[in-house]
Amino acid sequence: MSEHNHKLNSNEPAPAFTPALRKQIESFLTRYETKRSAILPALHAIQDELGWIADEHVEILDKEFGLHRVQVREALTFYSAYRQKKPRPYHIQFCNNIVCCMLGANEVIDKIKGHIKKFEEKGKESPFGVEGVPCMCVCDGAPAMLVNKDRHLKVTKENIDSILEKYASLKSGV
Amino acid sequence: MGDTLTKVKITTAFEGKPNARALKTYVDNGGYAGLKKAFTMQPGQVIDEVKAAGLRGRGGAGFPTGMKWSFVPKDDKGPKYIICNNDESEPGTFKDRYITECNPHMILEGMIIAGFAIGANKGYIYTRYDFFEEIKWLETAIREAYDAGFLGDNILGTGFKFHIDHYAGAGAYICGEETGLLSSLEGKKGQPKLKPPFPAISGYLHRPTIVNNTETLAAVPWIINHGAAAHKTMGTEKSPGTKLFCLSGRVKRPGVYELPLGYPIEKLINEDAGGMLPGYNIKACIPGGSSAPILTAEELKGLTLDYEAIAAKGSMLGSGAIMIIDDSMSMVELLKVTVDFYHHESCGQCTPCREGTGWLANIMTGIMAGQGKKDDLQRMFEISRNMEGKTICALSDAAAMPTKSIVTKFGAEIADFIERGKRA
Amino acid sequence: MSETVTFKLNGKDVTVPKGTTVMEAARRENVEIPHFCWHPGLSVAGVCRFCMVKVEGRPKLEIACNLQATNGMDVKTDTEEAKSAHKWALEFHLINHPLDCPICDQAGECGLQDYYMSVGKYQSQMTRPKVLKPKMLDVGRDLVLDTERCILCSRCVRFEEEVTKTGALGIFDRGDRAIIGTYPGEKIDHNYQTNLVDICPVGAFTSRDFRFKQRVWFLKDKPAVCPGCSTGCSVDVYGKPETRSYFRLKPRKGEANGHWMCDKGRHMYSHLNQDVRLRTALTTDAQGRRKDTNFAGAIEDLGKRIAAVNPATDVALLVSAQHTSEEYKSLFDFFVGELGIKKVFQWREPTEKIDAFDGLLYRGDHNANTSGLLSALKEAGLAAGLKNEFDAVASSGAKIVIAVTPEVPSTFPSFEQQLNRLTELDFVSFWTLAGSVADNKKTKHAIPMKGFPEKKGTFINHEGKAGKLDSPFPCPVADGRDLTEIIAALKQWRHSHGSR
Repeated sequence: MSEHNHKLNSNEPAPAFTPALRKQIESFLTRYETKRSAILPALHAIQDELGWIADEHVEILDKEFGLHRVQVREALTFYSAYRQKKPRPYHIQFCNNIVCCMLGANEVIDKIKGHIKKFEEKGKESPFGVEGVPCMCVCDGAPAMLVNKDRHLKVTKENIDSILEKYASLKSGV
Repeated sequence: MGDTLTKVKITTAFEGKPNARALKTYVDNGGYAGLKKAFTMQPGQVIDEVKAAGLRGRGGAGFPTGMKWSFVPKDDKGPKYIICNNDESEPGTFKDRYITECNPHMILEGMIIAGFAIGANKGYIYTRYDFFEEIKWLETAIREAYDAGFLGDNILGTGFKFHIDHYAGAGAYICGEETGLLSSLEGKKGQPKLKPPFPAISGYLHRPTIVNNTETLAAVPWIINHGAAAHKTMGTEKSPGTKLFCLSGRVKRPGVYELPLGYPIEKLINEDAGGMLPGYNIKACIPGGSSAPILTAEELKGLTLDYEAIAAKGSMLGSGAIMIIDDSMSMVELLKVTVDFYHHESCGQCTPCREGTGWLANIMTGIMAGQGKKDDLQRMFEISRNMEGKTICALSDAAAMPTKSIVTKFGAEIADFIERGKRA
Repeated sequence: MSETVTFKLNGKDVTVPKGTTVMEAARRENVEIPHFCWHPGLSVAGVCRFCMVKVEGRPKLEIACNLQATNGMDVKTDTEEAKSAHKWALEFHLINHPLDCPICDQAGECGLQDYYMSVGKYQSQMTRPKVLKPKMLDVGRDLVLDTERCILCSRCVRFEEEVTKTGALGIFDRGDRAIIGTYPGEKIDHNYQTNLVDICPVGAFTSRDFRFKQRVWFLKDKPAVCPGCSTGCSVDVYGKPETRSYFRLKPRKGEANGHWMCDKGRHMYSHLNQDVRLRTALTTDAQGRRKDTNFAGAIEDLGKRIAAVNPATDVALLVSAQHTSEEYKSLFDFFVGELGIKKVFQWREPTEKIDAFDGLLYRGDHNANTSGLLSALKEAGLAAGLKNEFDAVASSGAKIVIAVTPEVPSTFPSFEQQLNRLTELDFVSFWTLAGSVADNKKTKHAIPMKGFPEKKGTFINHEGKAGKLDSPFPCPVADGRDLTEIIAALKQWRHSHGSR
C-alpha cells in the first residue's frame, strides 16, 4: 500500500529562508483581516526570493508561522503561479491562447524548445525553461511572453533568438 | 438614444499625457474632484447618481452598478469592503491593465467614492500577479494618495476613513469571478462561493462587499463630477456611457479604444484600427472575450458595440475584448485553444464544469491526434448544452457557449478535419 | 412561536420552519432528491450539482440543498428537465470514475450505483481515456483512500473542518486534476476516522478493517446502542444471518451522538464472533474434572451449589456495568431480594479515567450502563458508587462468587488479569461472552451470555437518557443467555427443587 499521496519531491535541497524573507512573511501575518490571507503573499515572497517553493518551505510556514500546512498546500497546488520545482535561471512563460496562437506563438515555443533540447543533448543545463501559459492580457502586443518578470511583446520566430541572447547565450557548447 | 459616435475619454483620460501616472498630473487635470463632490452629497445620493447614470459592470457581466451598490444593507455597522477586480484574465482583454497604465489614481478615486457610497472603510485592489510593473504603479499611487490625504483615517478633513491595500493573485482565471476573488483574498483556493447569499450581503469574510471591475470603478469619478445626465448623453439608452474595447488580431492598429457604447464595429475595425493587414481577411470575430459566442464575418455587418445589439446576435459584449480571427486561423485550432483554456482554469468544485471541461479537452485531444469521430461535434454540443446553467459560477457556461457556437458555425471545417484525420 | 413557511413540493403543500431548505423538507416528506455532497450533519457545499429541482417561475433549475423554502414556492423534483439534469449529473460524475465495482467494497451501498439504477439508466457517451489518480493510499489506521474513485463531493473535507476540527483533509490542484488527500505522508490520527468511510458516497474512503471481508448485500443491519462507553451512541450492527457472524457497526442518527460514532465503538462487533466467544457452558465434577455441558446442566450444577450454602454469607456477586437495566433488576431481585445476598461488588477497570471526555463522543467510562447499575444497586438497598471492588471480592470470604463479567473484554485492559485472579478463588461461576474464560484451565463454571445486539433491554447513558436494544440478532452461541433468562432458569430450578 502506498504511503505517500501526491508528494512532489524535488531532488534539489531547499534553500533556507533569509532573515529578510522571514520578516516579510511575518509582516503578512498581521497585515490582512485573517492570518490565512497571508498564505498567497507568503508563497509569492518565497518564490521571488528563492525561485521556487519546496515541501520543506511549506512545513516552515506551518511550524514557524502558524499557517496550516493543508491550507498552504491547497493554495500551492491550486494556483499556476507557484513553482514546486526549481526553475531554470530564465523561465519563459509564453502565451498560447487565441490571439497569440493565431499570430504564431506555437512556432516560437517550438523554436525555444529546440534550443533547450540542444543544451540537453550536449549534457548541459539549459539556461532557459519554457511553458505555455494562458492569456497574459496584452493581446494587442501578441505574441507575448515573460522571461522571469520581463514582459516581451510581438515575439516572433524571427526575433526570439536575439531576445533570448540578451539573457544568456544560446550557443549550447558554452 | 445618446451619441454613439463622438469619442469622449473617461477612463483613459490620461492616455498619452507626460508623467500620466503621477499624482500631481492627476490632480492638476481635475483628479479627485469627483471625490470632493461626493463628499458634498449623502452616500445614498451617490448611489442614486451612479444608478441614474446607467453605469453597468464593465468586467463582463454588465450588471447595473448603482443597483449592485444599493443591495448593501444601509444599517449594517460594518466592516464593509470595496474590492477592485483587477484580475484581468479573459482572453482578448487588456483594458484594465491599460487603465492602470494611464491613470491608476482614477481607480483609487473610484474606490473611495464607492466606499463612501456604501459605508465601507476598506478596499482591496486584486491584480493578477504577473502584472509586475502595473502592481508597482498601483502601490506607488496608493502611497501617493496616503501622503496627500486622499486615503487614511480622515480624508480631506471630512472624518471619512478609507484604506486601500493591494493583494496579488497567483495565476487563476477563476479569481476574476467575484466570489472566486473573495475566496482567494481570504487566503483560500479561488473557488467561487454559493449565491445566495450575494456578496453585497455576505462577501469577504461574510461581510457586505462590493466587487467591481477596474473599468467600472474608474468611470465613477467622472459620473459624480459631471452627473448622471451627462453620462447618459453618450452611448445608447440601455448601454449609456463609454466602454474600453480591446481590439486584437491582424488589424493595422490593435489596441484599447475608448468608445461610446453603440459605436459601429465596422467603423472601429476599418477606420480607427486601419483595417486588416495586407493579405488577411476577417474569418470570424469573438466580440466579448473568449467566453462570448463567435460571430462570422457576415454577422459583423451593421453591428453596433452595445450589450443589446450583440446579445441580439446570440453573443455578448462581455469584457469588450474584440478578437478578429483571420483566415489564417484554423477553427479546429481555435476550438482546441478554447477548450484547453477552460480545462486548465476550471477550479474543479462543481462536477459539470470539472468533468465537462475535461471531457471537451479530451475529445479535442483525440481529434488533434487523428482519432476524431464523426459524432464528436454533436457530442461536444450536447456536453456543452448540459454544462450550462448548472454550476456555482459561470465558468462552465463560459466554456460551453463558445464551444457550441464554434461547432455550429464552423462545423463543416472541423468535420472535414476529423474526416481527413490530419493534424492542422 | 417560530415562523413557518408553506410551499408546494411536487404538488403537495408542505409546512416547515422558516429557513428550512427544500432538501431538508423533502427528506422529512420522504421525497427523494438525488444528491451526493449534501449531508444533514455538515454544512452545505452545493458542488455535486445533482439535487437540481424546478422552481416555477425561475428560468434555471436550482439546487435543493441551498434553496430556502419560501411561502408559495412551487417546487417540482420530477419534471423532464430535472430528470435530464439528474442523468447528466450522473454522466459527468461517471466519465472519469474507474470501473472498480468488482473489487470495490462500496458495491451494494454505492451512491453512483444506486442512483444510476434509480435516475440514470442512460447510455454513456464517454469514449476517451480516463483521468488516472493514485489509488490504495494508507491515510489512517482504518482508512484506505482511492483518489480515483473520489467524486470530490468534499464531505470528508467538511467533516474534518467542522466535526473533528482538524482540517486534516484538503483538495489539492485544480479542475479534473483535483485530488483529495491528507498532507502528503501524513495520516489521519483521531478517533473518528471511520465516519469518513460512512459519509463517502463512493468507495474512495473505505475501512481497512472491513476491506474485502464481505459483500454488503449479504448483511443485515439491526439498530442497537453501542456498549463501548457511557455516551451510548445509536448504532446499526451488521451481521450475516447465514453464518451468524458480525462484520461492522455504523452510527445511526441519535440524540446522544448526532450523526457520528467513534472508532472505539467500531470494534464492538469483534467480541461477538464465535471464534472468540465462550461457546458452551462449563461445569466441574466432584473429581475436579471440567467438562462442557449445556445450559440446563450448568444451571443444575450451580443451583445445587447455591442450595448447599447460606447465600447471605456464602454467595457474592461481582457485576460489571455493561448489562441492561432489565438484567440488573432481575439479577438483584433474585439474589438480593429472594436469596438475601449482601455481598455485591462492582467490577470496574482499575485504570479507568472515568471523567475523561474527548470533546466529541468518547467518554472515560467504558461501560454502557453505569447509571443503570448504580440505580439498580440503590433500589436493591445496596451501597452504590463507582467502586472497583476486586480486592473486596477476594477477601469477602464467599464460597461461591458469581462473576458477571464485562461483555467487551477490549474495554477492560485488565480483564485477563482479573480473570486469572478470580480463578484462584474457591468457586467462581463466570457469566460471560469471553472465550478466554474457557481457555483458562482453572475455570470451574461458566455460562455463555448473549451480546448486546442479541437481547432486548435498556442502557442508561451518562446523561440519564435511555437507549433501547429492541431488535435482536439470533445468538451465534446456542446456549447463550441474557441475565434475565439465567435468573429465570435458576428460579425455576429452585422452585422445582423445593425452595421458596
